[in-house]
Amino acid sequence: MVAEGALASGCRFFAGYPITPASEIYEVMMQELVAQGGLALSAPDEISSLCYCVGASLRGLKAMTATSGPGWALMTETVQYALMTETPVVIALVQRLGPSTGGATQGAQGDIFLAEFSTSGGYTIPVFAPSNAAECYELAQHAFNWSERLRSPVVLLSDKEVGMTTEVVEEAALARLATVERTWVDAKAPSAAYDIERPEEVPAFAPVGGGVKVTVTGSAHDRLGRLRKASPEVVEMLLHLQRKIEAHAAEMALVRPDLDPDASCLLLSYGITARAAREAVGLLRREGFPISFLQIQTLFPVPTEALNWACAGIRTVFVAEENLGGQYRAVLAPLLAGKRLLGINKIGSMISPGEIVCAIRGVRV
Amino acid sequence: MGNSTYLASDAKLPYCKGCGHALVVRQLSHALEGLGLPPRSVVLTTDIGCVGLADGLFPYLHTVHTTHGRSTAIATGMALAEMMLPTKGLKPIVMIGDGGAMIGLLHLVHAAQLNVDVTVLVHNNFLFGMTGGQHSAFTPLNWITATTPEGNCIPPLDLLALLRTAHAGFLARQFATDSNLGAVIAEAIDFPGFSLVEILETCTGYGTLRNKATGNALREVVSRQGYSIGRMEAQQERPTFGALYRHEMESRPPAKSRPQVPELSVKSGLANPLHIVIAGTAGERVQSSAALLCRAALSVGLYSTQKNDNPVTQGSGFSLSEICLSPQPIEYTGMESVDVVIGVSQDGWNELRANGTLAQLTPRTLLLVDAELEISNVTGRLLRQPFRREATPKRAALAALAFWLGMEPVVPSAAWDAVVASLPVERREDVAAALRVGKTLASQGGVAVS
Repeated sequence: MVAEGALASGCRFFAGYPITPASEIYEVMMQELVAQGGLALSAPDEISSLCYCVGASLRGLKAMTATSGPGWALMTETVQYALMTETPVVIALVQRLGPSTGGATQGAQGDIFLAEFSTSGGYTIPVFAPSNAAECYELAQHAFNWSERLRSPVVLLSDKEVGMTTEVVEEAALARLATVERTWVDAKAPSAAYDIERPEEVPAFAPVGGGVKVTVTGSAHDRLGRLRKASPEVVEMLLHLQRKIEAHAAEMALVRPDLDPDASCLLLSYGITARAAREAVGLLRREGFPISFLQIQTLFPVPTEALNWACAGIRTVFVAEENLGGQYRAVLAPLLAGKRLLGINKIGSMISPGEIVCAIRGVRV
Repeated sequence: MGNSTYLASDAKLPYCKGCGHALVVRQLSHALEGLGLPPRSVVLTTDIGCVGLADGLFPYLHTVHTTHGRSTAIATGMALAEMMLPTKGLKPIVMIGDGGAMIGLLHLVHAAQLNVDVTVLVHNNFLFGMTGGQHSAFTPLNWITATTPEGNCIPPLDLLALLRTAHAGFLARQFATDSNLGAVIAEAIDFPGFSLVEILETCTGYGTLRNKATGNALREVVSRQGYSIGRMEAQQERPTFGALYRHEMESRPPAKSRPQVPELSVKSGLANPLHIVIAGTAGERVQSSAALLCRAALSVGLYSTQKNDNPVTQGSGFSLSEICLSPQPIEYTGMESVDVVIGVSQDGWNELRANGTLAQLTPRTLLLVDAELEISNVTGRLLRQPFRREATPKRAALAALAFWLGMEPVVPSAAWDAVVASLPVERREDVAAALRVGKTLASQGGVAVS
């Protein structure tokens, strides 16, 4: 459904390299994108996959690749290049058990830090985390739309359990979003400068090969795209890379709340674990235990407004995620000062509803 | 069209005195001028190193300055995209050094294999210049560099010979000082497909410090390495990836329509989620049988999830499918309890023991196990049936499913009939035969062994 969502978003270019559990996206794109007149091809490694996508996007095509943790590790150089050059591209990152080659067919949610904090300088890369097939379809469209709108790499972060489980999808209920195209530069413009008046603005895009001269570099650059040392103008351009994302954070925020006004306890989760968490909430409520639930779909930028809203009147927040130390919990910690923040964590297999119920019952809230 | 259309006429070249890069940018400019390519139809894709300084010298061309070694890959992406566009004509020209050529070697190999319309100019000055003269994969034997103070002992790479094995269509090697360099570059750019010119130069900053690397001395060094000069014997011309791709797209048969799952008026009576595990051997249709069960379940209004597992090799050893059927949408896709275990091969059964499934059975778990399997110490309602013998090993999983549903009609047989009817004609009889065996065995009654 990631591939279907990409096709619905107008993706026209895909370069892939086989890796479990992301190979199915690659295979579907090789079949379906080709059938729809786009270009899908096999790259010789993950570095090439993303470079090909970036090249195609610089030429003006919507592009995507798909990988898992080991492949993402190789791609981070080019992810940063896309970020620096403001080149739209979507990377479907289907997590598996790490570290290293880890467990190819075992799920995990251990790449939160890797996905978000792989850039030198700590710039925000938008990350969307679907928990089921229908959300894969929907969030793939969001990923493309925001990638185009913000001229930024965007990560669609699922995992083996989401990506390799066959499940029933109600076609009529699938979200079909309006397709967003990047803003193209006026063909009469003298150059494809990063011509912005305010740092949060997204500059119009000029394709390489078009009538407007394009200057692109992965190095620090001025408003004309020319490589320069850190002058005030260059620093301004760097700040712009972050400001354009932050300025749209509220608009990008996607959450699925299920709040109980009487609850003093909130369970928060995302991706595959959000499904077990939702079941756990049902079980606890049937026992008469008031609890609120928040599934986060936009992991980054962190949906702070939704978080604050869901946390009103809450004393204890549980974050359930399938990783070792609570990666997303660590991200949320500074935002939840004053509340008791507890993790429900596990590696090796999915966290079950029973385990979540046990963990929450075992704590005095 | 004046010379300034390409290389800025007032350009102050940023290179060290005597550096070959200065000769290359002038010759490239002459080549472009000679070809008469519109400036906006050319993208210079430059790599890391002094070679990347060329961007600013060509104010009318598109320029893309990349990370180290990736210039070829990003240019390849642009060339690939170009072939999808109605207005074709973008020409990516890669400017890369010998360091970049090695770190990005795979990209050169693949671009050559694809035969994309990209021209690569490798500026080989035999070392890393910008970073202080460290040796590279192209450094001649015995050369003294910042990192080979005793002399380089690793034989240099012959890039052209290597790329020839990758089916490169146009390969040439010239000295930067050659008077025909511009003509060779022009020929490379004009070549319809992947072309590469390795340009041998001197790094006056570091290369000549402690090595004889100018004029005839450089020619002697190159000659000792066995490098040929000029255009290499061309490979037989072959179509570009773009031409092959378009041909394949046009000749590809129309995509098969996906099998439709019939929606029946009869609905399943299942009230609570049910977890089923099918354990068999790879190649014996365990996972495809599970998928058929899910489709049959869908046709009578049930939700389902299916997960498969197998060893790394996929084609040997065990094959497992875990299925959840539910009257409501399914949230948690794992199994906190197992309701039905179907074991149709020893491999599969052994894996159930190894992965802990057998340890979580309860007295209510139904176990349908092939009569041939060696088993011991299991909890649950055990039924042994000769699925493999009666149905054949490849039909055993489906036969066992039909047997179970004959006993517990969670999915009514009308659903199976509909699913069989929705299959391609050539598969129908095979599936129907397996189902018949299961039903027959069920009608004869299974014997509980507990």
